[in-house]
Amino acid sequence: MGVVCIFSYAVPEGKSGQQAVDMLQKNVELLGATRSGNFCVDCETYQSNSQNISQRLIHILHNSEHPASCFAALDTGTILVSDLLFDVLMSKLTAAKTGRESFYQQRKGFRIESRGQRYELWDFVIKIGSVSLASNFKGILVEVEYCPCVVASDCWNLIKEMAQSIVGNVADNPPMYIKNKTDPVYSPSDTVNQYLEHFNNFRKTAPQGQPSR
Amino acid sequence: MKKSEITQNFKFKLEFLLSSINLRIAETQLPLKMGDQEAEKLIHAIKLTQKLRGSVTKVFTDLSNGQTSTKEEEKEMLEDLQKSLLSMNDNLSDLEKISQSLPSTVHQTSNNISLVCLDPATDRTQLPSQLIHAHKWTNKVNRLSDYACQALQQATLRRTNKSQVGPGLSTKRQRRMPPVAHNIPASTVETVLNSLEKHLPDTSITVSRPNGSSCVLQITLSKTLKAVCVLRGFLIEYVNVKGYNEDFLSNDGKIDLWSKSRYKVFEKVSDLMMAGIQHYYYPQMPEITIRTFIQQWFNSYKTLFSAPCSKCGKHLQGGLPPVWRDFRTLAPLHDGCR
Repeated sequence: MGVVCIFSYAVPEGKSGQQAVDMLQKNVELLGATRSGNFCVDCETYQSNSQNISQRLIHILHNSEHPASCFAALDTGTILVSDLLFDVLMSKLTAAKTGRESFYQQRKGFRIESRGQRYELWDFVIKIGSVSLASNFKGILVEVEYCPCVVASDCWNLIKEMAQSIVGNVADNPPMYIKNKTDPVYSPSDTVNQYLEHFNNFRKTAPQGQPSR
Repeated sequence: MKKSEITQNFKFKLEFLLSSINLRIAETQLPLKMGDQEAEKLIHAIKLTQKLRGSVTKVFTDLSNGQTSTKEEEKEMLEDLQKSLLSMNDNLSDLEKISQSLPSTVHQTSNNISLVCLDPATDRTQLPSQLIHAHKWTNKVNRLSDYACQALQQATLRRTNKSQVGPGLSTKRQRRMPPVAHNIPASTVETVLNSLEKHLPDTSITVSRPNGSSCVLQITLSKTLKAVCVLRGFLIEYVNVKGYNEDFLSNDGKIDLWSKSRYKVFEKVSDLMMAGIQHYYYPQMPEITIRTFIQQWFNSYKTLFSAPCSKCGKHLQGGLPPVWRDFRTLAPLHDGCR
């Protein structure tokens, strides 16, 4: 597990999402990267049902890079990393019992995921994912990971040079989350936080979505 | 001359010729290797022989028909005989021509026959040449061992001289000689390493001695990399580098010196460090060697991922950061920019 930076790649005008993804994939393959399977990051959102306190959201994320883990994120940025069994617990919490309401309720039409091809190039892992919200195409997220290093501020310049050759100017500045990070050692939950940030941005722009692929 | 005498003469002569031709053909069949042309000639010769035989048989059958009383008939028969004899003669001359062009093996056979009396086994093995070769080789080994002996004798002399002059200085020399190696105290090495660790705030050095006196250092350099370093006394024998998120433990919890890092960058750095310890080999002052190695050169790898190349100013080259540090200036350089 190294340092991951995620960039949102704006689809160029006059091109469909699939065309933009194909172009990025071609770019990466021209650099000499080899395909190493597919990846998927998905996110479900639940809201609390209790009346006394203000409504809180909880996001449950799964990352195919860590297939045995389940990430539960609160709005505050707190992340709980647990086994996949947490899903079962969550389904118990959302199930209503007789005479009592459930603790959490799943938000309908809020399932968002980034899915696509995974590439390996030298010590880098590059993932080009197309984001879909309830099976509507929303945009493209490009993930660049530099595996040997664990300190984000150290290897940002390396990642920058690599990312610029794929997505261009988008990678001029480090992602906000990386910039504001206090703990120097990078961990998988930081990746999940970055995805969540991007997913929330995509949800906000939900109404003007492009036609589905 | 009577007719019967003539025919008899002919018969003898013919038979002699035929037998000689047959012999030649048989000889030519002996060598196994032959070219296509030769084979063709041979086939041609055989055909000619058959033709000759045919014509000879005709002569004989004509003759065996016997003679008739009338003069005309006799004349006719003689003419026939003459014709068949002429054709036979032609065939014979043809055959003789072709048999001359065929290669003869008489010479070879006679050679082989002359060798029959010798023992072929000793003759075929190339014993003499091999013996000469072995002799030369032994001579060479002898000469080289002489040189080695001379060189080693000089070296022992020098060594004893030095240890007599200053036993405290040449710790490594002492370590090399079995009786003095006991005196090189593990504690000395450890005190030096401890003082080193104090000088380097974000570097941790763990010393372990899994096999006798040689010690294994596990160095964690900031949050950049981990390394194992095998020391013999103060002599650095081996360095292996891995990532901060990798470890040097084998499955059974022991130190695993040899496994390579799964990242290309650390494989490259390991190779370069192995090259670097050649530079830091200075037997006269071993303690200073290890101090400069760890304190300066090795420590400069702290910025492995963050420092740009001092020559081209870039970070990435061929997928690797600047993996080389200059020995004097400690400037980061790409492997290709050195």
